[in-house]
Amino acid sequence: MVQYLVILLDDTSVSYCHCNNPYKEHRLISLDDLRNGILYAMKENLMIQFVYPDYDLPEEYKEKIESIDHHNIVSSLYFDKLMFEESDVVVFQDWSSVSNYDFEPGKAYVIKTTKTDLFDRYCSLKEILGKVDRLNVVITDVEKFTDGDFESYKKVLSELSAEIEKLYVAGKSPQLNLLTDRMMLSEMNNCGAGETNITLAPNGKFYVCPAFYYENEADSVGDLDKGLDIKNKQLYRLDHAPICRHCDAWQCKRCIWLNRKTTLEVNTPSHEQCVIAHLERNASRELLNSIRKHGTFLPEQDEIEKIDYLDPFDKRADWQ
Amino acid sequence: MTISVAQSVINYILSTSFLVKGTTIIYDFIGGEPLLKINLISEIMDYAVNEMKKSNLGLKFKIRITTNGILYNNSKVQSFIQKYHDHLIISISIDGTKKKNDLNRVFKNGKGSYDSIISNVYLWHSQFPFIGTRMTISHDDIPFVYESVKHLISLGIKKIDVNPVLENVWQEGDEVIYEEQLMNIADYIIDNDLYFDKELDLTCFDEYIGKPLGKKDMINPCGSMFLSVDSLGRFYTCMRFAKYSLRSKKPRIIGDIHNGIDKNKLRPLYALDLQSLYTSECFFCEVATGCKWCPAENYDSSSTGTIYERSVATCNMHKARVRAKNYYWNKIYQKNKWIE
Repeated sequence: MVQYLVILLDDTSVSYCHCNNPYKEHRLISLDDLRNGILYAMKENLMIQFVYPDYDLPEEYKEKIESIDHHNIVSSLYFDKLMFEESDVVVFQDWSSVSNYDFEPGKAYVIKTTKTDLFDRYCSLKEILGKVDRLNVVITDVEKFTDGDFESYKKVLSELSAEIEKLYVAGKSPQLNLLTDRMMLSEMNNCGAGETNITLAPNGKFYVCPAFYYENEADSVGDLDKGLDIKNKQLYRLDHAPICRHCDAWQCKRCIWLNRKTTLEVNTPSHEQCVIAHLERNASRELLNSIRKHGTFLPEQDEIEKIDYLDPFDKRADWQ
Repeated sequence: MTISVAQSVINYILSTSFLVKGTTIIYDFIGGEPLLKINLISEIMDYAVNEMKKSNLGLKFKIRITTNGILYNNSKVQSFIQKYHDHLIISISIDGTKKKNDLNRVFKNGKGSYDSIISNVYLWHSQFPFIGTRMTISHDDIPFVYESVKHLISLGIKKIDVNPVLENVWQEGDEVIYEEQLMNIADYIIDNDLYFDKELDLTCFDEYIGKPLGKKDMINPCGSMFLSVDSLGRFYTCMRFAKYSLRSKKPRIIGDIHNGIDKNKLRPLYALDLQSLYTSECFFCEVATGCKWCPAENYDSSSTGTIYERSVATCNMHKARVRAKNYYWNKIYQKNKWIE
């Protein structure tokens, strides 16, 4: 059931996920489409997430946005200070401005990174984790991971895990999506594109997620006039995902767009996405066990089971 | 296909461990009409056999060819058959009576092929007596199904797979005629006591069909064991994913001889199960078993270019087959209950 409506306010709105936004030219959503998008969300009981471009929006847009409860997703380069203070999620497109940034609690931060940059610069995350409530690291070239990269990623997770353990013992409780999400979950909690959330693009049409808009504008799933029309919508649900429904890497993004890009099917993840998610899962398991050595921690959560695989696809014979 | 492309394919297969994990490779040549290229096929197989020996992988092999039969008695074809007889599975596509066969199988000039292949059918049957034929039927063929099956049986062919095409060619009422035709076949077989012949195998009356899905029915029966390659060396999981087989979708290529197979593109086919594929109507259908589907036809007919949208074009034809199959087995039971 759809619960969230992501509204891209402009073609250059910040990309906060695995895909990159190819648009360079401004194209602001029309005021009518913005108004109708908000109306649609009200009628369908959807929570709105506005995604901002870098430039200052016209006053009438700001007024309209403020007329409804919402969340704001902005770029770290967004310069409107007033609006910036109102933001809920701040997105870094790369590491260039991370080191000098004045991180503060109360917001969620997203750092988008290539695998190479992550392996080179992950140490700087340790300091940031001491300052923020939540940090999401989003890898933008998941499909390029090699066996060697998996080993490097495992090492990165292990080091970050040790840092998080120290912070938790010291009484802080920052969240890092790669490590803390899994230990707090008791069921799948994925991106939900096409199932729990949909995207309204500046052209007034709906998309499964921003990436589908960025990749092919013709790939819409309805518009504000005719409403939502998601073909084969069951394929976005877990019960129609043949690998994922057997999986317990519950923190996995299960990125529908990456699925389609790598395997040609929205319900089937690539080997790389599965292994990355399982390295995170296993690191979360270690972290949970380590923190619990210091005292009671998340007592309502079961232990994360030890498993002997990194890609559930390899265990498919056991599903029959 | 050039011999160079074919050799690259064989080299790739033999050097790719996950493709040769079994002990038997089946080389399946499909066309067009494969026997038009018997010299190439012969050259490919000679190379493949030699390379398999050199590989020391202990591989066995089979050669499968489906032909229209016109060139079957050609001397080069017969030489090939002599050389590889024990490895060969050759099927001749003959659709039944002259009238039925000549509806679909015609020369460029419009003349039907029946008269040109019937003597070759006898030759083929003498060389491969245990190999059957697949009788593919479309809308126009339905009234001829009974006569055609009877004719194939009279030719000595014992394994006959009556196979409605999966494409959406069916019209209202087709299922009624189809059911009648299959019941006529049932009557013919039972009234003439042909069902005592253990070698007679008509798949339309398989006991397995027409039951609710069980656990063993949940897996994808297709697409998990084949590597298909086109004349340019591009890989597919089935030739039905190649451009020339598809009506409206883009070819679904999984690799090529230069770059190998992209294993991520195999995952949807290997993982595909009926829970993910079926809507609840199909999943809980009380006569679901034996209802044929094909990932490539799903893909071609789908609204979003997915193999996971079950094509249901043959639903009524399947249900007609189930009713005829029930009739067949009940009639046998009624006829023999006095014996028991």
